[in-house]
Amino acid sequence: MKGTESVVGAIIISDQVGAVEDKQFPSCVGSCPRPWSTADVLGKAPIARLAADLEGKLCNVVSVIADVPPDGLRSKPSHEALISDLTADRFANYKREGCETVLIVRCGAYVEFDAAEMFSFHQERGLGFTRAFTDDEPLDVWMVDTSGFPEHVPMLSTLLCAQPAMYRSHGYVNPLQTARDFRRLVLDSFHLRCHVRPQGSEVKPGIWICEGAQIERSARVVAPAFIGRDSHISAECLITRGSNVESDSRVDYGTAVEDSSILSNSYVGIGLDLSHSIVDGRHLLNLRHNVNLEITDPAVMRQNTVRRGDRQSWAGIESSPMALSFAE
Amino acid sequence: MLTSGPVVVMEVPEVLNVKEVHSFMEELGPLLESNRPRVVFDCSQVRSMEGAGVEMLLRCLEEVLKRDGDLKLAALSPEAEVILELMRVSRVFETFQNCEDAVRSFNTIPADAVPRDTPWYANVFGDLGVLKQAS
Repeated sequence: MKGTESVVGAIIISDQVGAVEDKQFPSCVGSCPRPWSTADVLGKAPIARLAADLEGKLCNVVSVIADVPPDGLRSKPSHEALISDLTADRFANYKREGCETVLIVRCGAYVEFDAAEMFSFHQERGLGFTRAFTDDEPLDVWMVDTSGFPEHVPMLSTLLCAQPAMYRSHGYVNPLQTARDFRRLVLDSFHLRCHVRPQGSEVKPGIWICEGAQIERSARVVAPAFIGRDSHISAECLITRGSNVESDSRVDYGTAVEDSSILSNSYVGIGLDLSHSIVDGRHLLNLRHNVNLEITDPAVMRQNTVRRGDRQSWAGIESSPMALSFAE
Repeated sequence: MLTSGPVVVMEVPEVLNVKEVHSFMEELGPLLESNRPRVVFDCSQVRSMEGAGVEMLLRCLEEVLKRDGDLKLAALSPEAEVILELMRVSRVFETFQNCEDAVRSFNTIPADAVPRDTPWYANVFGDLGVLKQAS
């Protein structure tokens, strides 16, 4: 038990259901569509941060239902139904295992909220069903008593239609629907506007470097910047203006990276000028020109052969064998 | 291929990979070997460009400069602009919003910029020219 006497479980749904898609920048990058909440931000995916945070503070058990639709399941209604069914199943399991309250978070957006305070509010109100709100709009964060909630009903639609107690949250919210939102989360983290803190060590003010990262002598890293685990920055490179190079990536000789994010397992070639962009393998999103490019020349950009990003994204919740469900 | 006086405007293909570069260069070859070639590349259709495409642009520029000509880029698509910036060659080329501006730029002093009835020495000698006329 962590500070409460009730048994609280959490279900985190990694999902973009209901998100308003940006026509130019869909909610995912790369050849395998995935929500932004599952991509590493300064060493850890937002969804993994949330799971670790909940597990450490309020919840006894945390489950993540990840949105990884195989090709045959790309149609939205069937996929939504599958996610909803998995959520309902997990909810029923929690009930059987003796959880009295379940926190359900649909993690399209990145939301910071005080789960313990919300739980106290939920208990005080005694309605059996609470939803978090900002000043402007509802958040996809619910707290539900297992005793009062019907089993085997479409979970998400029931949650969306119900009349809950309204818990007002004043924490940081980032919709994480577009590439711009993603970059904003990186910059907000660097500038301490949210609770996301870079992994690794702060070797100089504003410069974080993770374990196993190699930065060659003549490379320059100018704050704020982040170099992820087992990444390699070659000679004469420049990493600056809030750039983050995530784990297992490589920036090759003489390349300048400015106001950009290089996602895990990406290679960026020799002598390039990368600015205002997000790179995921061979996919390049340029935010200034609103362009999404697939670079076909592997000497310029490519996916690294090592693919450990997904495993890293779930670090901290992997230990529980039942914790992770993929909607496949 | 469109021509506008001595300036040649060529449309760059949508995809500039090794294969396209080869056929584009075959078409462009005779022009590059002419005396003082003046070329505009219309890049409005470019959607993707490999390293070979960027190399081709640089090679063309080198060839025309060798023959005292020039190569200018016009109507760059956002994709082309991103790739040229990424490859650090955007500043090597003179670029224009559209082909007309690029063609016009070859005539560095437009004919209508100088009034025909003004004597050529008027601007050079200033007041002296006026004095001579008065006398």
